[in-house]
Amino acid sequence: MLEAALMGEIPRETAGSFDQVVRQREAQVLRTAFRILGNWADAEDVAQEVFLRLHRHGIGFANNGAAGAWLYRVTVNLCVDRARAKRPSQEILEVPSRERSAEASVLLEEKKRLLMAALAMLPVKERAAVVLREIEGLSTAEVAEALGSSEVTVRSQISKALVRLRGILNREEV
Amino acid sequence: MTEQEMRDLFREMRDEPVPADSLARVRARLANRAPRRHWWILVPAAAVALSIVSVVMFRPAPPPIPGPVIVAKTAPPPVKIAPVQIPPRPKRARPKPVAAVPVSMIRIETPDPEVVILLVN
Repeated sequence: MLEAALMGEIPRETAGSFDQVVRQREAQVLRTAFRILGNWADAEDVAQEVFLRLHRHGIGFANNGAAGAWLYRVTVNLCVDRARAKRPSQEILEVPSRERSAEASVLLEEKKRLLMAALAMLPVKERAAVVLREIEGLSTAEVAEALGSSEVTVRSQISKALVRLRGILNREEV
Repeated sequence: MTEQEMRDLFREMRDEPVPADSLARVRARLANRAPRRHWWILVPAAAVALSIVSVVMFRPAPPPIPGPVIVAKTAPPPVKIAPVQIPPRPKRARPKPVAAVPVSMIRIETPDPEVVILLVN
């Protein structure tokens, strides 16, 4: 499906359906970008760029699956570029600290914050793989297509990422 | 935190709402930078295209350009080639018949009646 969208087998888009795609997919794009980048400001920039590309190229989609796949791919690519351009320390600074999260009333929220903080420490490709597979719930094949890698690589990245996350979180908990 | 706990937390994050102000900001930026394509924008462009087409189609015909002078080329008269005169083949002289020479023959008979000796010329 993604391949079909990328190979241009999809009919051209109209302005009306561009707005439709934006409305339907803005939350997906923003959420994915935020999970990968760790802050809303960067996520907004990425979301804007994703939809501007969509508008500029006038890419149409045969169905929702094709639209989702294309948007995931472009979102991840832009996030990877942006994350690589930044220094790792900058990403971690934006993640809420333990002191702030300790103020949170709900333990679950605290755990989520810690997990997101740990996620921000992973290499960006691993982070993207985890976000797409575990949070967005894509299949391994879909993640592989979005990242432009093989399913084996994706499985390996996710497995490594989970081990690293556990290590980071256990260190934090000590 | 175990791997299963992490997976559960990730799953919970899946349905978390996106902040409304973030969505609004993205929409506003897109509205500024990706203007809608209104159909009426196409009207002046179509009018211009139509006028160009009509000018091209209905413009007066240009004066005829004198064509190249065609010089009638006539083929030169064919050269008359004299027919080849084949000289008559000289007739081979026939050998003249030899004049008849009178044949003289002497017949000598031998005692054997089966044997006769003939002496010609």
